[in-house]
Amino acid sequence: MRKLFLLLCMCMPVIWLQAQYAGYKPVADAGAFKTQFAAATQKTQTIKADFVQEKNLGMLSEKITSKGKFWFKKDNRVRMEYNQPFQYLVIINKNNVFVKDGNKENKISTKSNKLFQQINRMMVDCVQGTALNNPDFKVVVFESGTACLIELSPVEKGMKDYFKNINIVLSKKDYSVNKLEMYEQSGDNTIISFTNKELNASIADTLFVIK
Amino acid sequence: MPALRIHYLLLSSCLFLLPACSSVYRGMQKTQADPSCLVKFKPTFTKALYKTKVDVTGKHLSGLLLVKAMPDSSTRLVFSNEMGFKYFDFEFSAAGIFKVYYILPQMDKDAVLTTLRKDFELLLMQHLDTAKSFVLKKDGLIYYGFPQSKGNNYYITDSTCQHLIRLERASDRKPVVTAVMQNYADGMPDSIGISHAKFNFTIGLKKLKQ
Repeated sequence: MRKLFLLLCMCMPVIWLQAQYAGYKPVADAGAFKTQFAAATQKTQTIKADFVQEKNLGMLSEKITSKGKFWFKKDNRVRMEYNQPFQYLVIINKNNVFVKDGNKENKISTKSNKLFQQINRMMVDCVQGTALNNPDFKVVVFESGTACLIELSPVEKGMKDYFKNINIVLSKKDYSVNKLEMYEQSGDNTIISFTNKELNASIADTLFVIK
Repeated sequence: MPALRIHYLLLSSCLFLLPACSSVYRGMQKTQADPSCLVKFKPTFTKALYKTKVDVTGKHLSGLLLVKAMPDSSTRLVFSNEMGFKYFDFEFSAAGIFKVYYILPQMDKDAVLTTLRKDFELLLMQHLDTAKSFVLKKDGLIYYGFPQSKGNNYYITDSTCQHLIRLERASDRKPVVTAVMQNYADGMPDSIGISHAKFNFTIGLKKLKQ
């Protein structure tokens, strides 16, 4: 009886991990995954995609959906252009963030804002494949037949107060990001899904220029 | 002679200061009108998403404000930026009780919460006790006044109460906040503007088609 109890205790974390995400199980060899992931993302110089962002407000049973276009270019350059149901532009270029809302333009240096710096790094890490090395998060990797799920749990106060965890869902085919899922402590979440992905297409540097 | 000059200067200074100290509402004429005519202007938010622009002391902030009527008759207001990061989540109950579900730690200050609560109460047309209300008239406009814990909220209409010209949150002497709600469709205004008189703080809301 005691042996059975001990066996159950030993199996519990595995059962819990497996039950966390339907269709996913923890990766058998985390080291091998890390090597493959790094090798695949090393080859990716640019990403061009469409995106759909869903903000799910749990207690209100409401969803706010917005759409737009996404560009990424190595190193550390991201452009997100929202065009539905509003116009909004965000450019991340290394340590600087540029936001354009209608006629209003705003430049932010992430160096002066720790939380912004962490969000900026997380965004870039997700598409650049360096998320596994980010010390701001505890990382657990799961896999299904067609996808990998990297679960990032914040360890530092600022991010931890707001986010429960951030999941990156990758295609197993080319390790490109299918989805970015941000789960808040409040129970709300934001899911960004990427479609029509083009890897290593030619993207002009001018798209990331912060004036 | 110099003493006379000083007296003259003091007197003229007082004359200049007097209008600043007097109430803009004091000279208004009391009139008879039925405040229940305002009911048609009370927004009935079933669900609306507003593109929101906030300018506060030279800083610009933008985002999305979701306003939703809940099954318990309360109204929820959730403001987040375009990328989904939440600034605040408020509830205004039908009985006028205000509840904060979430506010960004940097905004979690009594002055900020009180200002936002009072601004939204003005827009949602809460705390309109008709038994205590009073009606004033000036320049062809009707001022429906509703005493609040501090000062009054005014809903200003044309002479026949067909159009809501503006809303004012006021001290006993002058408006502190001026707001407009325009182009109603299905009981919800298409455009909302809020402007503070005491400091540089404006909020602009434009309803989005989803």
